[in-house]
Parts: sequence; C-alpha cells; structure tokens
Amino acid sequence: MIEPAIIQGVIKILLVCVIITAAYIISTRNLISLVSMYSLQSVTLACLALALYAYELAPMLLAIAVITFLSKALIIPYFIATIQEKIRIKRDIEFHFLNPTSSLVLSMALMLVVYMALTRILQGTPSRGENFLFFGAVIGLSLMLMGMMVMLSRKRALTKVLGFLSMENGVLIFGMFVTELPFIIEFLIVIDLIILVLLTTILTVGIDSTLEDYHKRLHRFHLLQGEEDRA
Amino acid sequence: MILLAYILVALVALAIIGLSTTHRCMNSACIIHAFLYLVLTVYVLVFRQVPVASFFIGSQYFFMDNFGLFEVLIASVIFTCAAVYAGGYVESLLRSGELEKSSLKLFYTSWSMLLLVLVLAFFCDNLALFWICAELTTILSAMLVAILSARENIDAAIKYIFIASASMLFSFVGLIFLFEASRRVLADGGTLNWTVLMQHATVLPSGMLVAAFALVFIGFAAKSGIFPFHTWLPEAHAKAPSAVSAILSAVLLNVGIFGIIRVYAIVHQTPAAATMAPVLGLFGFFTVAIAAFSMLPQKNLKKLIAFSSVENMGIILIGIAVSTPLALFWVLFHIMAHSLTKASLFFSAGILHRQYRSRLSTETVDEIWDVFRLQPLAAWGIIIGGLAITGMPLFPIFFSKLFILLSLGTVSLPALFVLLFLLFVAGAALGYFVITAFSQVTAPGIPSDIEPYLTPLTMKIPLVFLICLIVLLGIMFTQGEISFLDRIVQELRF
Repeated sequence: MIEPAIIQGVIKILLVCVIITAAYIISTRNLISLVSMYSLQSVTLACLALALYAYELAPMLLAIAVITFLSKALIIPYFIATIQEKIRIKRDIEFHFLNPTSSLVLSMALMLVVYMALTRILQGTPSRGENFLFFGAVIGLSLMLMGMMVMLSRKRALTKVLGFLSMENGVLIFGMFVTELPFIIEFLIVIDLIILVLLTTILTVGIDSTLEDYHKRLHRFHLLQGEEDRA
Repeated sequence: MILLAYILVALVALAIIGLSTTHRCMNSACIIHAFLYLVLTVYVLVFRQVPVASFFIGSQYFFMDNFGLFEVLIASVIFTCAAVYAGGYVESLLRSGELEKSSLKLFYTSWSMLLLVLVLAFFCDNLALFWICAELTTILSAMLVAILSARENIDAAIKYIFIASASMLFSFVGLIFLFEASRRVLADGGTLNWTVLMQHATVLPSGMLVAAFALVFIGFAAKSGIFPFHTWLPEAHAKAPSAVSAILSAVLLNVGIFGIIRVYAIVHQTPAAATMAPVLGLFGFFTVAIAAFSMLPQKNLKKLIAFSSVENMGIILIGIAVSTPLALFWVLFHIMAHSLTKASLFFSAGILHRQYRSRLSTETVDEIWDVFRLQPLAAWGIIIGGLAITGMPLFPIFFSKLFILLSLGTVSLPALFVLLFLLFVAGAALGYFVITAFSQVTAPGIPSDIEPYLTPLTMKIPLVFLICLIVLLGIMFTQGEISFLDRIVQELRF
C-alpha cells in the first residue's frame, strides 16, 4: 500500500498539471496542438482518478479512469483530428473580447473567486476538511470556468467544442473530489457527451469548411450571394 | 411496466421509419407514434393509480406522477398535430429542394427519438437522469433545426447547442451540490431521487441548497429561454422548419420550466426559498422586458412569435416566484395554454412562409401582400392566435395571465403595474405587426404576380383543430381539469 501522504502529493501535482493544460488551451492559436493538449488533459484526469482510487479504494473511480481514457483521450481527439484534416484549418487566430494575456489574468481571478465561494458553500462537508479534496474541487470549478472563457473568446466552432470539452472535464474533476455519484449516471453522461461532440463537429464542417461542394450547395439556395457581393 | 409500452411504441415507430422508403410512410409512423402516446397517457390518467412507480431497479429511476403525465399529455397532443402538419410541410420543402430526400430518414428518426426522450425526461424520478434526457433533447432538436443544412440553420443549431449545453453543465454542478447536501443529512447515503428529496426537503442544509438551486437554474433557464440565456431562442425557432418550431416552442421550452419547478419544489419547503423567490422574479421581469422590447421593432413573423415565447416563459417564471398554490395552479394552466396557442401560431406562420417563400428569409423584412386573398386561413390563424397569446378574454391565456397578475399584486403592487405595462408593449408589438403586414394589398386593377400556394389539407387540419381546442379551453372549465391541476399542485407541495 502506498502511503497516503505520497498519494496526496501526487494528486496535487496532477491538479497543477491540469491547470497548465487549461492555460495552454486558453492561449494557443494552433489548432492541432490544441487537440493534443486536450488529450493530455484527459490523460491527466484518468491519472487523477487512479490516484484517488489508490486513496479511497472506490471501484467506481477505476471505472471512471478507464472510461475517461478511452473516450476522451482516444476516441474524441481522434475524431476531432479527422474532422480538422477535412476542413483544412490549422490555426484559430481570432479572439473576441479577450486576448490570451487578459484571459490568463482573468482566469487567475476566477480561481480566487471560486476558492472564496467554495469555502463558504462547502463548510462542514468532508471535502472541506481534507485539504487536497478541497483543492481538487476548486481546480475543477476553475477549469470549468476557463473552458467557458475559451467558448466565449474564440471564433472557430471547433475551438469552441474544445472549450466545451474542457468545461466538462472540469465538472468531472469537481464531481470526483466533492462527492461520489452513482456509476450509471457517470456512464450515461459520457455517452451523452460523445453524441454531443459527434454532432457538433459534424455541424462544424458546415461552418468552418472550405470544401467546394458545400459552397455549391449554398449557392443553390442563394444564401451565399450577399456575402460574395461584399467580398 | 406501462413505461415499457411507451418505449416499445417508439421502437416500433423507429423500425418502421428505418425500413420505409416513402415520405408518406415515415410521416404516418410519426403520427401514429404520437397518437399512441396520447392514448397511453389518457389510459394511465383514467385507469391507473397515479403516481405509478415504474420498472427499473427498485423503481428509483422512473416514475409517473401527475405533473409528468400533464407534460406528456401536452407533448403528445402537440406532437400529433405537428406530425400531421409536417406531412404537408416537409413535402413542400422537398419539392422546393430545401430539404434533400436523403435527409428525410434522419429527420423523422430524430423526430421520433425526440418524442421518446422527452417522454422519458418527464417520467424521470432521478434528477441526474432527467438532466441527461434534457441534454439529449437539446441534441436531437438541434439536429432538427440543422436538417435544412443551409448555413444559417447550422449557425443557429450550433449556437443553440453551445449555449444550452454549456449552461446545462452548470446545472450538473448544481446537482452535485444537491447530492452532497442530501448525503450530509440522509442516513443511507446521498440521492438525487426527487421523491426522496421531497420527503426530506425540510432537513436539507439551506446554504448549500441556495447554491445548488442557483446553479441548476442557470442550465434550465437556458433551456427555456430565460434572460440572459435567451439569445439562441429566436434564431433557432425562426430558422427551423415551422413544424419543428412548433415543437421547440410548445414542448421543449417546457422541459426547462419542468426542471425549474421540480427543483424549486424542493427549495420551496426550506428557508432558502425566501432568498431564491425574489431572484426568480427578477429574472422573470427581465425576460419579459427584453422580449417585449425586442418584439417592438421586429419585422419578421417567426422571430416575433419566438420572442413572444420568451415573454411567456418570463410570465411563468414570475408565477413560480410568487409561489402560492393559486399562482402555481395558473402557472400550470399557462404552460398548457401557451403550448397550444404557440403551436397554432407557428403552424399559421409556416403556411405564410410557404406562400411568400422566395421573398422571406429570417434576416429580411417579411413581404406579406394580399394575405386575405392568398391565405385566408393562415391570416385568421395568426389573428386569432395573436389575440389568444396576448390574453384577450374568452381565450385560456386570459385567465392564467389574470390570476398570475392578481397573485403578483398580493406580493407587490408596483411590480404588478410594471408587468402590466410590459405585457401591453408586447401586445402592441404583435398588433402593430399584424395590422401593418396584413393591410398591404395590391390596388384593384393591377394584376398581382404572386401565385397562391395551395395549402394541403394536412397543414390545415391541425391548425383548425388547435384553434378549436384553444377556444374550447377558454370557455369551458371542467371539474376534471381543475382537480387534475389541483392534484399536481398538491404533489409539488405548494
């Protein structure tokens, strides 16, 4: 049996890694490294679940680790990468409202707010008592808010999808550290997520695409004329 | 076990859609699917002891109570009408090339699945399971919006998915808080089972409950188009095919309200309600205000109707915030009346959309000319539906608005006058649009170049049926209806 203190240390390091990946997702302009960074984040998440399993020995956490690894580190990134190749876009340069620096500053502020809010709400629960569990809850919620910032500040639909996915990762971390939900629920959520991502990415082809046939189709409905007149 | 019958019907309908090759066949499967749901629901209501504990591991995941049955009843009526309507409407989309024949199967499959998932959502006892079903309804309905695969449709669908799903994640965090709150006080571990939570609501820690409800509210507010998460709604409703707009507005918005009422019923029994009720009311007011003032300059019929949905969701929210048994009774009535009226309005708008198709897009001004000569039924449909939705006497919304306003008056008189003013603005906007658009007539003697669109019977029948139903609901008030709504109010312990 590994000593609890070591596991707690490992968990804290992993949580910091999660935050680093989130910061990278917020600031990078390169779409391909965005996807691999998301994949890395999911692997970190799976490791977190494993570490928590070593600590609490709840078999549910083991199942979460396996599902997370399969769906979020392999299937979804692979799918997004395929779509990306198809629409031939490599970079997402434009930012709305926030540029990378100010988003990073803002996310630090958000973490502080989350910390203060959770201190009040979680008073008296076991997760408030254990220092590292509380740390996990804070990081989870912050990751979710950072994901939302990505959704707000990026222009390409594909980047928005990645923002949504890291929001979802945040919720998962939060759920793992605060409480233990029934397994069937977790499982259904993952299925739900996969469908959601499949659909949005397929639709994204329509939005971000530079494909010829898609434009042809738009011409038929006279939808593109206005835009071309302007161009 | 009765829930299995619902699932079985859906599976059979899906199989028929999968196997059939003609449009007529798929359409009939959808009509029969929705109609059988109607029959099943009426059967449960009349012959079974409600609430029905359903199957599935100790029946803690699904159950049927009066509230769920009420929503399913509305949904199946609307879906039956909309499926009949879609027969003619989709045919005309196919003919004009706006919908490709290859997407037909996808359209009807998502349609049937949407109905199944909606019904499951309304029958969920477990709140997390309800959350999942609500997410699935977002995905399926977004597919129906995007089915025309024009760029603006995909834009609207993506916006819908992003706003609704991202907000729903907040809801899920709220549910985790709720679970944790119950884990602290219940002996046998935490639960998200609504019935159990209702039984032990009074002992739940109120600070955590406030946080939980606030977060849950964000998600379901986005689903029902409450300010400030309403931005997806006008786009999606206006750009979807009209048969889809009708179910989006009349049934899907109810999912969000259903979730809010369910969770609020728990909060209502604790001191936390005192903090949350004013917040709900405030959001309701903002929603009505934004909707009313967005309606004023609106020149597009479907967008106008969509904003009117936002307005009505605001009224419902205000009614929930008042949270007296009387207010809740009329909130439920308003949900029903709004659904039926809104569906009829979208049906009429759909006929006009087919008539003036080439000149009509969601961004431009509607060019409606000679409407009484070309489409008398749709024109009268809009007028009657418009009168009904603004709450003229003799229509059901008159009563629900009146009593919600009266209950609001007992809480705060200034609020009542503000709301009255806002409702007046919204009504004026609707009236202004109808008068200006419908009075455009080509002068006699000048030949008009507009070909009348021959509205198929399948598009006329559901419209006429719904209008008759609305009028009937407005003038007749049966004892059964009252006791049914009363039972729901008792169930929710208001």
